[in-house]
Amino acid sequence: MKREFRLDTLLIHGGFEPGPAGATTVPIVQSSSFAHDTAEDLEDIFRGRKVGHVYTRINNPTTESLERRLALLEGGISCIATSSGMAAITLAVLTIVRSGDEILSSASLFGGTFSLFRDTLSNYGIATRFVDPSDLEAMRAAVNERTRLIFVETMGNPRLDVPDLAALAAIAREAGVPLVVDATVTTPLLARVKELGADIVVHSTSKYINGTGSAIGGAIIDCGTFDWRRKGYPHFEPFVKKFRQFAFTARARKLIHKDLGACPAPMNSYLFSEGIETMALRMERHCDNALRLAKFLAAHPQVAWVNYPGLAGSPWHETAKKQFGGRFGALLTFGLADKEAAFRCIDGLRLAKNLANIGDAKTLVIHPASTICADFGPEEKALMGVSEEMIRVSVGIEAIDDIIEDFAESLNII
Amino acid sequence: MNLTVNGKPSTVDGKESVNVTELLVELKVPQAEYVTVELNGEVLEREAFDATVVREGDAVEFLYFMGGGNSTFPKGAK
Repeated sequence: MKREFRLDTLLIHGGFEPGPAGATTVPIVQSSSFAHDTAEDLEDIFRGRKVGHVYTRINNPTTESLERRLALLEGGISCIATSSGMAAITLAVLTIVRSGDEILSSASLFGGTFSLFRDTLSNYGIATRFVDPSDLEAMRAAVNERTRLIFVETMGNPRLDVPDLAALAAIAREAGVPLVVDATVTTPLLARVKELGADIVVHSTSKYINGTGSAIGGAIIDCGTFDWRRKGYPHFEPFVKKFRQFAFTARARKLIHKDLGACPAPMNSYLFSEGIETMALRMERHCDNALRLAKFLAAHPQVAWVNYPGLAGSPWHETAKKQFGGRFGALLTFGLADKEAAFRCIDGLRLAKNLANIGDAKTLVIHPASTICADFGPEEKALMGVSEEMIRVSVGIEAIDDIIEDFAESLNII
Repeated sequence: MNLTVNGKPSTVDGKESVNVTELLVELKVPQAEYVTVELNGEVLEREAFDATVVREGDAVEFLYFMGGGNSTFPKGAK
């Protein structure tokens, strides 16, 4: 009987067997296109009668290896890697919705996603209703006959709220629409989102999957759980007819992903495959460090407040504990007296880097209100949990005493 | 048993009939977990592979949605 490997083992071996000459890392197939012996061979590939590579925008052996591993990790039936996390969200959503359809989205979103839904997709006749995902009654009430998907982050960034995914999945099932979950912040290690009811999972692989801030990428995983024959999805009909449970992936691959061209570079797919192997160890350290830093900041006299779901006082502590197996991620936010104090604190940090990213091995900080959320008005900022005195920290895996000393020294001089 | 597979003549030696699951193995169909099978023009449900019998003279199509992708780096840890 074939043994099923555990998640930590799949991170290292899933979707991969030794390559040429026994190579133990996935070869980087840095080729834009792939030659075939006969005209008939290529015709058969284009007709779908034969498997084979054509062009790296459509697929690539290095990228395919990453896709197999990510599908295994999420328990999905297939995966499509993309050029960025935003590309993953865009492609996943555009595979499902058409002009005139609506998205029901969590109001607590990454700014890029908020902008995509509110500003970009609305120009193409796709409206989004933003609702607090912790208010289940409001979520249920916001569903209407045009709703085609529910979108939520496992942990809202930067609000760091933790919606009850199983409850949202029940609302989605009741409404007959798929639940699309951005699981970037929690990774497949903290949240088993398919088990909680996600139908489609998206990741920015640039974050913890990469782990070192060396490449931009994304991924869409189809859990194979949604029945695309349901009312409201006639555009899936030819794909359901031919590809059954793979209808979502088939529609994405044959149309949206192919046509929009947001494919990853083979080199980046290699970097994600390499990074993912150490993710289990890194996440343990990330989460441990974040809890330690959160406790330190919560006790500091200059700090007005700390928001981290791992703190018992967090309104999302219990939900996070239930959903994330006793770990709480590595993002936290904290408030000082005002914007000036926040700026002085950031300027005083010597170890933590001031930049617009999360999920790096390095500790990162940013003042969201003046940077990644600067284009949003007070109302949107409030929905995202962004305030002027707030700093977001993506806690790295350096020695925790060094991280704490960095913040302590900076806070002492503000 | 003589069949037409993806438009070309094909033979399964020593058998008068096989079910679709067996045929995928006999013909070493790559990435069988993703393949769509058409038998005499009808798309088969995956759940029906075991119960669907392929006989002499049948026309079988194996179709993929990937538009690329092969087994250069096969799936699964050993």
